[in-house]
Amino acid sequence: MDNLDYIDSYFKNELPPEGARQFGNKIESDPAFAEEVAFYLTALESSGENAEAGKRQRFRELYQQKTAARSRGTVRKLVYYVAAAAVFTGVVLGIYQFENPGSGRQLADRYIRDHLTTLGVKMGGQKNSLQTGLQLYNEGKLAEAQAQFERMIKSDTADFTAKKNAGIVSLRLREYDKALRYFEQLETYSTLYSNPALFYQALTLMERNRAGDSDKAKQLLQKVARDGLDGKESAQAWLKRW
Amino acid sequence: MDSIDYFHKEDREIIDQLRRGGADRRRSEENLFNRFSYFIQEGIRKHALVEDDAFNAYSDTILAAIERISRADFQGRSSLKTYLYQIFHNKCVDLIRKKTTNKSSVHRSESISGRLLFISDTARSVIQKLIDKADWNLLRERLSELEDKCRQLLLLWGDSYSDKEIAAMLNYKTADVVKTSRLRCLDKLRKLYKII
Repeated sequence: MDNLDYIDSYFKNELPPEGARQFGNKIESDPAFAEEVAFYLTALESSGENAEAGKRQRFRELYQQKTAARSRGTVRKLVYYVAAAAVFTGVVLGIYQFENPGSGRQLADRYIRDHLTTLGVKMGGQKNSLQTGLQLYNEGKLAEAQAQFERMIKSDTADFTAKKNAGIVSLRLREYDKALRYFEQLETYSTLYSNPALFYQALTLMERNRAGDSDKAKQLLQKVARDGLDGKESAQAWLKRW
Repeated sequence: MDSIDYFHKEDREIIDQLRRGGADRRRSEENLFNRFSYFIQEGIRKHALVEDDAFNAYSDTILAAIERISRADFQGRSSLKTYLYQIFHNKCVDLIRKKTTNKSSVHRSESISGRLLFISDTARSVIQKLIDKADWNLLRERLSELEDKCRQLLLLWGDSYSDKEIAAMLNYKTADVVKTSRLRCLDKLRKLYKII
């Protein structure tokens, strides 16, 4: 223990110069002392290595914590990115749909929603078959309204309004072929000031959206726009966007 | 004015803390490790090392830097990042070249030679021969067998903490009490080591 104290003092530079000089001589002359010096240095190095191993272990833990935090952060970021992408996509789609409704089906849907959800009923007038049909239509009783208009057509095969409304209610009922048949019949009424036959045909084709319907609808809309027929404004607007 | 005065605030704090030593040194070592731990990814990407090798290269870098900064060998001629990256790069290159040198024995030898600078060549040679015969594994084993307090004292001593610093860290009254306790622990270790 005494020697360890002396050895420790030497390596901590705490010895006076004379003591430090004697230290080397003692190593050379005293093998037991030399062994103690060697042990002291070996123990010091070994303790240092152990301490270093402890630090490496601590570093590894820090790195693992950081890696785990980064992974959690990545997942969290991913969630944020996905959410942001979803919001962005929604906004883009919304704008796109608003500014550029895109497919003919979407254009047709919007037109039907805006213009054909209700049909004009003459207020205060005598309640006739047409008024009954329109009222049923506006109440959402589409099948009954269709039956009403078809009864009118049966009783008067030249009734333009009944055919027009029968076509519209068929369109709402997604009976596209029937709707087309009614609207095609309207074409024959060439003397009427206002005849939406071609426009409604185009609308029905857009809504039906079968192969070839889109091209055919476009051609009809072009004719409506070119000839200034009923539905010209909508046709022109759609042709620009579509 | 010290060159490190111009350093990034965080770097300056780490360097100051490491130079000051004391109880905060451990925290500053961890801060230093965390500060540039992205080097590990660079080791993987730029040097094509596996993650474990890149981690070891980085840990070696930090340990070397801690030692140099604590000894004030780092003079701040380059930024801390540049300084560390140079060490890290060399460590990675060593790994790539698959140097098989037993680094701990080389390090030990250098470290011990450094401590024996002021004794005669003959005395140094005597000590070196005795150390070469030492059973390092056994000593490490015996060290682990010491009671916690003793082991802790010796590990802090091995980690170059002064007795004064150890006193503050382990709540000893004075540095002298630490020295007495430490030497007593060292004596216990020697007795354990001698019983073979």
